[in-house]
Amino acid sequence: MSAPEPTIGTRSSKGSPGSNTPEPAWRRYRRELGFLIFFVLILGTSFTLIAWNPVNDQVIEPFTAAIARAGGAVLNLIGQQTTMDGTIIRSSRFAVNIRNGCNGVEAMLIFFAAVLAFPATWRSRFLGVAFGFVAIQLVNLIRVVALFLTGVYLPRLFDSSHTVVWQTLVILAGVLLWILWASRFANAAPASPLGSDDSYRTRSA
Amino acid sequence: MLPAVVFWILITPFYNRFLSLAGEKLTRGTEFPAVTRLDLQDAHFLFVTRSDVSGKDGFVYKFRLTDVHFNLILTVALFLAIPAVDSSRRAENLGWALLISVLFHLLVLFFVVKFVYSTQLGSWSNAHYGAFAQNFWGFGKHLLDLPFKLALPFILWVGFYFADFQRNLRRA
Repeated sequence: MSAPEPTIGTRSSKGSPGSNTPEPAWRRYRRELGFLIFFVLILGTSFTLIAWNPVNDQVIEPFTAAIARAGGAVLNLIGQQTTMDGTIIRSSRFAVNIRNGCNGVEAMLIFFAAVLAFPATWRSRFLGVAFGFVAIQLVNLIRVVALFLTGVYLPRLFDSSHTVVWQTLVILAGVLLWILWASRFANAAPASPLGSDDSYRTRSA
Repeated sequence: MLPAVVFWILITPFYNRFLSLAGEKLTRGTEFPAVTRLDLQDAHFLFVTRSDVSGKDGFVYKFRLTDVHFNLILTVALFLAIPAVDSSRRAENLGWALLISVLFHLLVLFFVVKFVYSTQLGSWSNAHYGAFAQNFWGFGKHLLDLPFKLALPFILWVGFYFADFQRNLRRA
């Protein structure tokens, strides 16, 4: 005798067989709640950590300066003749200071929190974090270069491009990477710490 | 993405007006006497003034209000892009997501104003806010205006579609 198939459109009842007692909301949505609680906790903790002055000064600032050097090197490759001074990339026509919010760390931490909160093996999570670090920093490098060129050639569009366009694109890249990771790497994960797989049912429409 | 950008560009002038009015009401509701004014200028910039503090240029702080709510683009895009969901459920979920976003934007705006008062007005801030209050409003603004503003579209998307997403993973 096989176990009944999960029914799409309903949630399983863990009550006694034949009982029509509805599950409490927290139990019906425990997977969503579990993921979101872990996600928000990891996100809040990591942002608290990077806001702490010693971490900001010893880790984030040098990391941001490295991004400025990488951005400046790419800009020099395409003939922009820039010089770097800490987190500042400067040419005769424009200068940009890479600060928190522009170094890709925020998008990385959001991605890392989503990877760590999602039910998956630790190996998948580690691969996700490594893969996300490289991919998001590549996207962010493109952002730094594109913003500098916007400042040089289309300065009127710099402010909108800086906040609205590129912040949205970098976060979108993080979300798409997470979907890709969850689809390709976390799919074959064993039972989740947030609840056993056989209790899974989808929400009613 | 394009419909989301068009939607956001179209609503921004009205939404900025709404946020400035609602944000002023919210802030003044927590003050006695009510002294805060939030004036929208150039369609995008919010000027914070206090009737009991004279700023150098008639206001004490200004910031780009449009930057508070650009995460609506990603929220709308993610909710419109989810496959295999019937249109009524999609519209209902998007409606709830937008409502939550509006409440979140008001909260961000409130924290920005309190952050300005507690940390950005020099000796006036130090005279009226203690160390704990300054850290509370500063840290709250940091968390709301950076990680949670950027992550809100993803949080909402997961909240409404996590089960669908996992179901699709199992089918794949």
